[in-house]
Amino acid sequence: MLELLQQSLFSGLLVGSVYALVALGIALTFGAMKIINLAHGELVLLAAYMAYVIESRTGWNPYAAIPLAFALTGIVSVVIYLLIERIREHRELNSLILTFAIGIILTNAILLVFASDVRSTGSPFLQDAVSFGPVYAMKGEITAFIISLAVMAGLWWWLKNSWYGRAVRAVSSNRDAAKLMGIDPRRVELAAFIVAGILASVAGVALYTMSVVQPALGPGLTIKAFIVAVLAGVGSIPGVFCAALLLGVTEAMTVTLASSALQELVGMVLFLLVLFFMPNGLFGARARRG
Amino acid sequence: MIRRNCLATACLAATLAFAASARAEDITIGAHMPLTGSLARSGQAFNEGMQVALRVFNESQSKHRIKVTVIDDESQPAKAVTAVEKLSSDGAAAIIGGYGSNIVGPASDTSNRLGKVYITGGAVSDELVQRGNKNFFRINNNAGYQRGVEGLIEEVKPNGVSIIASTKEAPMLLAKGLEESLAKKGYKVTLHPFDPAITDFKPIINKVKLQDKSEIIFMSAYENDYVGIIRAAKVLKPPVKAIVGAWSLATPKMYSDFPDLMQNVIGTTFLPFPVEVKDEEGRKFAAVYKEMFGKEIEYASTLAFVETMVLSEALARSADAGTLKSGGLLAEMKTTNRPSPLGRITFNEVGDNPNFALSMGQHRDGKIPLVSPAEFATGKLAYPAVPW
Amino acid sequence: MRSLPALLILAVAIAVPIAFGGNSYVMGLMVSALIVAGVALAWALLGNLGGMVSFGHAAFFGVGAYTSAILSAKFGLPVPLALLAGACGAALCSIVMLPALRLSGPYFALAILAYAHIFKILATEATSITGGSAGFQRFPPLPTVLGLDLSSRVGSYGLLVVLVALCAAIYLAVKRSHVGTALRAMAESEDATRVVGVNATLLKAWMLLLSAFITGLFGAMNAHIINFLEPDYAFSASWSILPIIAAIFGGYRTILGPVAGAVLIYLFDQIIAKELLPVGHEILLGVLLAGMILIAPNGLFGMFQRKATKGAAHAAA
Repeated sequence: MLELLQQSLFSGLLVGSVYALVALGIALTFGAMKIINLAHGELVLLAAYMAYVIESRTGWNPYAAIPLAFALTGIVSVVIYLLIERIREHRELNSLILTFAIGIILTNAILLVFASDVRSTGSPFLQDAVSFGPVYAMKGEITAFIISLAVMAGLWWWLKNSWYGRAVRAVSSNRDAAKLMGIDPRRVELAAFIVAGILASVAGVALYTMSVVQPALGPGLTIKAFIVAVLAGVGSIPGVFCAALLLGVTEAMTVTLASSALQELVGMVLFLLVLFFMPNGLFGARARRG
Repeated sequence: MIRRNCLATACLAATLAFAASARAEDITIGAHMPLTGSLARSGQAFNEGMQVALRVFNESQSKHRIKVTVIDDESQPAKAVTAVEKLSSDGAAAIIGGYGSNIVGPASDTSNRLGKVYITGGAVSDELVQRGNKNFFRINNNAGYQRGVEGLIEEVKPNGVSIIASTKEAPMLLAKGLEESLAKKGYKVTLHPFDPAITDFKPIINKVKLQDKSEIIFMSAYENDYVGIIRAAKVLKPPVKAIVGAWSLATPKMYSDFPDLMQNVIGTTFLPFPVEVKDEEGRKFAAVYKEMFGKEIEYASTLAFVETMVLSEALARSADAGTLKSGGLLAEMKTTNRPSPLGRITFNEVGDNPNFALSMGQHRDGKIPLVSPAEFATGKLAYPAVPW
Repeated sequence: MRSLPALLILAVAIAVPIAFGGNSYVMGLMVSALIVAGVALAWALLGNLGGMVSFGHAAFFGVGAYTSAILSAKFGLPVPLALLAGACGAALCSIVMLPALRLSGPYFALAILAYAHIFKILATEATSITGGSAGFQRFPPLPTVLGLDLSSRVGSYGLLVVLVALCAAIYLAVKRSHVGTALRAMAESEDATRVVGVNATLLKAWMLLLSAFITGLFGAMNAHIINFLEPDYAFSASWSILPIIAAIFGGYRTILGPVAGAVLIYLFDQIIAKELLPVGHEILLGVLLAGMILIAPNGLFGMFQRKATKGAAHAAA
């Protein structure tokens, strides 16, 4: 039994790191603009398919696709921002419906271009098994975990030290005050969307290397990411990371202790409980102030 | 004067049409296929098999020409019902059904209500033949898949079987059926249902490894799940002796997409690869299929080919007897008795094909020989043998 | 003059079976479109009066469908009563969603989505009641009433027209009542209305209940028309998505908008979009939805109404 629990803890952590990558993009744009980008899952999927294109055409490692994937997701992310900008009334709710519509468009565009076949990496290196004492993983999962950590550290540094990063935080915590300080919120929001695009491109490639992708995956990714963002309490990167790992581990433990048929149920119930009883999330004490 | 001219033209046209119809009588049938949506992959393959069958049939004789109108049912029951209604109101002589019991069920009900013969090769639920729907025919069923897998398990006699099954309809049906029948035969069976949204199978495989300790993993699922399960198994290396799966697994496509995962994996099929078709009809099918679509025939397209051939022949017999307009097709369908690449096809009183049984094929270095049952085997079963 | 569009729609609704009654394809399309219309109406009621956007109306739709099907098959409840029970079942299940009312807009929308997922999983797992993923069939179709076979396409169509009209009338009555006035004031400023003693949360709860009831009713109708249920179908996300698109397209702040929007969108999707793009035609719906939000967030009827009020104002001046 102990061995079972060790392995599912480990597997859960690895899966959680990819949830974290996907969720960070949603959390970032939500923080900066108070807008939930429901097309974020499709952005991630778009990047995953770019990894497929690069790998199947050139035989390179899928991670070589990140620049191309970023170019694409970055452009789409900016387009989404520019469209949201055009909404005049009830921006909070109408943007929800708009990004949802963009999600439908992207899903079907992927379906039109790539058909409904399932895709995943063929790289022998990434699929290779590796063990750490009693627990096992695919090398692709370990790679994704390390890259996820690195990206998160990079994002944390950016938010803390760069002018734009600090501006994003300022706008997130108090938009009007930030305006008075001479920050143009539009530029900051745009920056947030571009960074969300970068995050989506890395997340997509990581997803492709450790899991299986197909066109219908987008909405599910968005929902998982949103669950993580709510658990975290929007606003803190370590919070998002911890919440994502928590979700991953909870799912894996549900599979081990009960049945996989119930794993989504547990995630959803956790989500609702936190939403109702801990409106600031598990890790964000000061998150939703302002 | 003008009117008379028109009349003459109309007469001429009618005569020409009559002459044409005397040479080759056009019969239109309808089909609803899930060309998009969750079942799109199977739907596309079904559509291709059907198109090949019609070409083969139309070229094989000159008396009848059968045309098909295909409507995409988007893998949704309501759309399939609407499709059947449209096909029927456009004058289809019979309906070829799509894929998935949840879609075929309501669609064939509608077809029955409109008095149209309905045939399918993609719906395995037992409920479908318990409804007393007299216009319903199908060439495959859950029992056939179950028999194929059971046969293999009886041959190798494992100490236990771990069934990993998607909670979707057809996989669950097969899994529950196998769980029951294998348990009756005295095997230790453990069922692990999983949510289709699952991303990581390692916790399940680990249960198989540490708790079940079975010698066989049976996967009742779809392509993306197979990839996830086998990958997780490659990482954890449970002490199993074979990895077995259901439909869409022992296919050349799976091998070309995931060559590192498929070695030694066993799945239900009825044709070895490279195709070693023994009968004339199967060879013809494979040749025309390659010509039209540039690839090898596969599992779903063969089902569609057979169902379409069966229907076409019944239509032709009924048209020859002059009973097509008066409902003679139903009687002709019931007299069906022919060999096919799937084995013999006959229909019992509820429209089911009692002869349906599948073989098991094993991925071996890019080839897929049939390894079970013994009488159809084209290669020897490698056992114990796993992908790692 | 103001009821002109409603009369026009009624005239079209009567003309359709006269013109196409024999064509079961067209009638089948209309039946499906009206199911969506009913759900779109319920969605818009919650959006317009309650000020809440939901992404999970599939939850009510599925619960209504299963409740009605199970009660009529296993307990022999006559279908008309089962339909009503289905609607009540959906309303009951909206009670567990009441905590979500405290959440602000986007959080509410996605919380309801989570509920829809939870109900779907429960329906899959409760095999002994629902038949699980193998599905549930063999329950009675719509009955014959006064010589009219409601299970025929024309019969179902007629019943659906009546039900949609009835629900629209209820919607109108609520909107014009004191409750409607209070709700509209609430949409302007929740704090102000609280000061004058309106219990905002209670009113919102009633709207959620009513919206769930209507959605459940149409879910139950659909179940008895299709005569097959499985969790993936009954709780399919498309029961949440199509009504949103329809209501936004037609104008979710009007009563006729969602109904007309549903019929137009469904026919456009099935007849035109499918012809243009056999695979992935939903992309056109996505474009349509995005375009409407950007260009005319009040929808077709919203634009129409705005012009009409402007015209009236001019005339008065």
